[in-house]
Amino acid sequence: MKAKLKLIVFALLFVAFFTGCDDFVEEVEVVAPTAEESGEVFEPIQFVTGVYGRHTDFAYAFSFLGITEMISDNADKGSAPTDTGADKNLLDGLTHTTSSPSIRAMWTQWYKTIGRATQAIEYTETFEMTNEELRERLIGECKFLRALNYFWLVRSFGDIPLQHIDIINRAPTSDVYAYIEQDLLEAIPALPFKSEYAASDLGRVTKGAAQSLLAKVYLYQKKWQESADMANTVITSGEYDLEPDYAKVWRVSGENGLESVFELQGRGEIVAHGIQQYSTTQGARGPSGWGWGFNTPSEDLLNAFNVEGDDIRRDATIIFAGETLFDGRVIDAGVENPRYNEKAYSSANAGQGDGDKNIRIIRFAEVLLIRAEALNELNLSSDALTNLNRVRNRVNLENITTTNQSELRQIIWNERRLELAMEHDRWFDLLRTGQAPAVMIAHGKPFETGKHELFPIPNDQLIQTPKMMQNPGW
Amino acid sequence: MKIKSALLLIIVFLTQTIVYAQDNVLITGKVNDSDELPLPGVNILIKGTNKGTQSDFEGNFSIETIKGDILIFSYIGLETQEISIQNQNTLEVTMSPNTDSLNEIIVVGYGTQKKTAITGAVVSVSTEDIVKQPALTALQSIQGKVAGVNIIANDAPGATPTVIVRGLGTAQAGREPFYVVDGQPTQDIRSINPSDIESIEFLKGASYANIYGIRAANGVILVTTKKGKKGKAIFSFDSFYGIRNVLNQVEMANADQYIQYFNEESAAVDGFQLQQNQQFNTDWYDELIQLGNINSNNFSVSGGGETIDYFFSYNLYQEEGILKDNEYSRGTIRNNNTYHLFENKFRITQNINITYTNEAPKPFGSFNNAYRQSPLVPVFYSNGRFGQSFVNQSTGIVTFESEDGESVGRLTPHGNPVSDVLFQDIDINTTTLQGQIATETDITNDLTFTARFGATQFYSKRNEYNPIRERWLNADPRRTIAEFEAGRVDEDGDGTISTEFANNSLNVQDVEFFRWNLEGFLTFNKSFNKHSLSTTVGLSREKFGGRELVEAQGFDVFEEKRLRNLSRRTSSFFDNTVVQQFNQSTNLQSYFARVEYDFADKYFLRGVWRRDGTSDFVTGENFFDNFPAFSLGWNISNENFLKESTFINHLKVFGGWGRLGNANVPFNVQQIDTDPDSGNQNYVFGPTQSLIFGASFGSPVEPLQWEITEEWELGLDFAFLNRKLSGTVAYYDRTNTNAIINVQNILNSESEGNFLAHAAEVSNTGIEVLINWQDNLGKDLTYNIGVNFSTNKNRVENVVPGFDGETGGSLNNGQITKRLQEGQPLFAWWLLEADGVWQNQDEIDNNPSVGNAAPGHLRYVDQNADGVIDDRDKKFFGNYVPTFNYGIKIGIQYKQLDFSVDGFGVGGNEIYNGLASTRLGGENITEETFNSRWTGEGSTNAAPGADRDALASSYWLENGDFFRINNITLGYTFNKIGFLNKARFYVTAQNPFMFTNYSGFTPELNQNGNPAQTTGIELSAYPTTRSFIFGVNLQL
Repeated sequence: MKAKLKLIVFALLFVAFFTGCDDFVEEVEVVAPTAEESGEVFEPIQFVTGVYGRHTDFAYAFSFLGITEMISDNADKGSAPTDTGADKNLLDGLTHTTSSPSIRAMWTQWYKTIGRATQAIEYTETFEMTNEELRERLIGECKFLRALNYFWLVRSFGDIPLQHIDIINRAPTSDVYAYIEQDLLEAIPALPFKSEYAASDLGRVTKGAAQSLLAKVYLYQKKWQESADMANTVITSGEYDLEPDYAKVWRVSGENGLESVFELQGRGEIVAHGIQQYSTTQGARGPSGWGWGFNTPSEDLLNAFNVEGDDIRRDATIIFAGETLFDGRVIDAGVENPRYNEKAYSSANAGQGDGDKNIRIIRFAEVLLIRAEALNELNLSSDALTNLNRVRNRVNLENITTTNQSELRQIIWNERRLELAMEHDRWFDLLRTGQAPAVMIAHGKPFETGKHELFPIPNDQLIQTPKMMQNPGW
Repeated sequence: MKIKSALLLIIVFLTQTIVYAQDNVLITGKVNDSDELPLPGVNILIKGTNKGTQSDFEGNFSIETIKGDILIFSYIGLETQEISIQNQNTLEVTMSPNTDSLNEIIVVGYGTQKKTAITGAVVSVSTEDIVKQPALTALQSIQGKVAGVNIIANDAPGATPTVIVRGLGTAQAGREPFYVVDGQPTQDIRSINPSDIESIEFLKGASYANIYGIRAANGVILVTTKKGKKGKAIFSFDSFYGIRNVLNQVEMANADQYIQYFNEESAAVDGFQLQQNQQFNTDWYDELIQLGNINSNNFSVSGGGETIDYFFSYNLYQEEGILKDNEYSRGTIRNNNTYHLFENKFRITQNINITYTNEAPKPFGSFNNAYRQSPLVPVFYSNGRFGQSFVNQSTGIVTFESEDGESVGRLTPHGNPVSDVLFQDIDINTTTLQGQIATETDITNDLTFTARFGATQFYSKRNEYNPIRERWLNADPRRTIAEFEAGRVDEDGDGTISTEFANNSLNVQDVEFFRWNLEGFLTFNKSFNKHSLSTTVGLSREKFGGRELVEAQGFDVFEEKRLRNLSRRTSSFFDNTVVQQFNQSTNLQSYFARVEYDFADKYFLRGVWRRDGTSDFVTGENFFDNFPAFSLGWNISNENFLKESTFINHLKVFGGWGRLGNANVPFNVQQIDTDPDSGNQNYVFGPTQSLIFGASFGSPVEPLQWEITEEWELGLDFAFLNRKLSGTVAYYDRTNTNAIINVQNILNSESEGNFLAHAAEVSNTGIEVLINWQDNLGKDLTYNIGVNFSTNKNRVENVVPGFDGETGGSLNNGQITKRLQEGQPLFAWWLLEADGVWQNQDEIDNNPSVGNAAPGHLRYVDQNADGVIDDRDKKFFGNYVPTFNYGIKIGIQYKQLDFSVDGFGVGGNEIYNGLASTRLGGENITEETFNSRWTGEGSTNAAPGADRDALASSYWLENGDFFRINNITLGYTFNKIGFLNKARFYVTAQNPFMFTNYSGFTPELNQNGNPAQTTGIELSAYPTTRSFIFGVNLQL
């Protein structure tokens, strides 16, 4: 009797325990921790837009100017002598350090953009979507942007970590270029031509943009044949031509125009969303001024225009104190600096936070000059001249006729300087072509060979990742 | 699947027992103690089974046995005996006091094990060790007594000590050990009265702790409370009263020293000078600190009849801290009953514990303010207002009064420490109801089923009254009530008045939670020939972590305490606010199985498996994980070649491996960043440049799971020389294999924010040694000496490249002191290395220096020789966690007199004097700082001058070694006086001496225990205190 009772008690308890089992832990509803599960649906295109958006950071309005132009012989720091612009005085004087905030800002900016591009690609690849063509295009856009940012990084810092491999160990420059080429070669077939895009997509990366950047990437690696061929693909695509009026390229009417291959987009109307104060930082400073007066064209650049008799490009590039601009704006003769960057000027800008100015990253004239330079290096001087003179003729300069390779090389380099002045390429052209030591020392700047060819890895990065190596000389 | 295999096991057990039926022998007998008095309540058990009985009031017993059975006689505190049944029918057993701890029965979680059979690092602490050191929680009492368990004391009223078992193994997950009281998981160990505790077991080693699966990674602490013993009722009354003060008071500079220091500093930075003669010379610590006191009264009744054992107790513990009105009191009521039914084959145990506390916290920031406030500031001004740090900068007199054209500033930004304490008016009341019912059913002689249900309900109510008007008026003695009233007028007519001008505010906060646990397990014990087998299978289910908080705040309530009520206010200018929060609870489902086998008490083999599932994780549908463990032991002393040894009485080696989890990990939620405006997720497309909204991933979300810790251990138990010398040596190597770290947003990384990821390993290795010597000198004098020593080496390893680098230890002045780095201890000190003092400007000009360096400032080493001093010149300087701990206890018993001394020490750690380091101009300094300061070129190269920088550097890092006498006790016991059975009177000095070179108040700087924060940094720490206690234990 008792034994039975016990067994019943036991059995009841035992059964009570075995019911339910694993389901118990699933009774509690847990909030979804990942974005994919958050309930809100994000389309891949939104993250792709986020990659473009990274290029509207303030770094492009200020730090970028310091490490691309002010550091070179084309521009001075400008502004008031007391306003250093954080470290712009040091960059101008070629005395920048490992702690220069401008270098740190661009290093971070470029890497974070690469990160966004990688994330957007991953998201797009796995997202359920019916339009495969759109998927390919979006991935192609991201790959171009990733390649562009790696290109900016590699020409500034040399060996750099490839983010998808390791963020500490620096990959050799050749590996970085190989990765850039791979991205671009994959992007080209996926991207439409400029003319194939819907109007509302104006400003997106095009096949031509990817090809042009690839031509430039080849040029930096002295892969002359590939560079010439790739440039030719763009030139013969029928998508682009030179804007007959050189100055119009930087006007509102020239934005995304005939000559535009790729530019960063800005919007000045409310809700304003520009490349922040890109126009303001370079606007005239002082009476009637609207800006901070940084990044002013140097006297050296002015002289270069004058020596060449290149009035059209000089006047389109430089705002002179006391001048009346094309749109009727009168520049007071008493502004703080004698010259300002006209290519950053926007008629609509009166010093707002977000301006409408687009930054021209690649335009057709540069593609012609890339081809000219590459052909000349391939000893095809006469073919080179065709492209070079096409650029010169637009601004009423006479044809170059020399077929002496080294003479022509100098001419093309000088042509690049004048044509692309204040377009964020001069410093890297000086380094790429090996002119930097001579030019900068002649310019009165303490260029140290073996050091200044590369920017230092920012100190803050080395604090975070002490095992990363610093560049030579720094 | 699992169900089937469990059922199968049961069937196997049942059939086993059926075959086993032989001739029965009825044994009757009597048990006496060594004084030949009958001993009731002795447990008598047939070895290898659950079959047993207890002796009755006259010490008599009877039990059915089979020839060849072995009877085990056990009684707490007495030597366990084993008697083999041959042909006898009666037995006379004499039980003598236990001098051999090896026969102890140890609680190991879902069962017990004989100490000799234990094959892992399990340490048991018994009631005597706990009650000897009066404290709020038992853990504080056993600081320094358990090797490998680092208990960091906190002497604030109501504080719980921090317990670190075998090193700190996690950066982001919970650091608390898992507490189990009588099988019931317990949230807050403060709810248990130390006097109710029979024993505490520390399951240090993973092979034992792993039976608690995903909550065992920080160690498991099992608490067993007292039960009644068969026999007549025993009434006990224990009481003590004590006073306490600061053990290690730091001498601050007096008024004259302060003035000189201030003026030297001021001269260096072109500030104003203080006049020599000032009105006040306040010693802020004298004003702030009072004599604290503690007091506890404990009553208990216990006993047992034929079918019921009972234990009742009531305890009231009261403490007032060294800050005025900083009080804590706790009452506990406990009732543990066991009912023995069906000839003791069915037992019900019921535990009820009710704890209520009442707490009035005071701001420990006032210790910080007392350190910093100038001695020239009075406690009160002559107008009755509290003194503030006003100084007339024109005259250099410390006062708020000024003539026209004179300017009044402040010496320091700090308030009046005394008023800080007075104005804080917080009341916290908590009630914890804990109850558990357990049944044990002997299904057969070998098989027992145990079922338990336990539940805890917790309530807390917190009231904070803030006298805003009093505070406002006292912040500046020139303020008038009229000015305050003017602030209460709605001048701009917008219907709102700043709450800055409310008379007061009342904040009421209610917290409530409920948890329950339900578990059942089968235990099968069997011995045959020399084989002995014990098996446990079971499952458990728990719900915990749910918590509701309701908080309401109102302004302008009545000042009188009994009228403070949010719905009865003196004005209705201000709105009441209510906040409610609810935390989802966690469901936990577990299965476990354990097999213990030994052959001839020589070879031990043990395997444990636990499977845990928690509702906390969502990723991968995989809620469950397995936690296996095994251990082996070899009792060498039971081998024939040692059996006869008179030198070696006991020698056992053991080793094991186990896997533990820590599910208390942070929840990871991904943020997708979007912006409705001009954020950099958005971009412009199209001919009209339309703004297109985009998105970007904020911090990536890595799927977080429990952290898994794996541990190997090896050990040796020994007893030599007639068991006079005994001890344990153990080595452990434990690794948190997937530690979660806060991955920094590195400049060149993909992510745009910090994120959490399983990206590192944290390893802890160490050696633990416990040695005990006990002997007697003649008949009347016995003594024992116990020493324990343990080491710990903590390292962060195998970090995903670039994922380390989280900094921490913020001093709240922009300076950080710690960094998580591969190859270093968890959050090691990371500081500039101070190297002397700049003697003159010439030195500064010709060497790398920080900006604004001046003669008298500290100079720092340019570690990377790049000519600038920056973060890359910071170096690692060890950690705040001691690398070794040691304890010593000496006990002497002479006739009725007992005397004991306990000591505890740590070493190998560095601690940071944040009080001195973060000094701002105008703050007070210690006398030592004053005396040692640099006063001009050539004066000293060791200490900076009055004008210095406030950078975090190795200069402020000090050796954290200390040795402290924890306890000196002298007691005298009267036996059988009057109606009393026993009466013991004692005096105790707690923490009477501390030996340390540390210049602050206490080297025990645990703070909130978070290694990434101010742990190890003295900023607002409660000082270590010293107590003198008188107490009495009565028994009738």
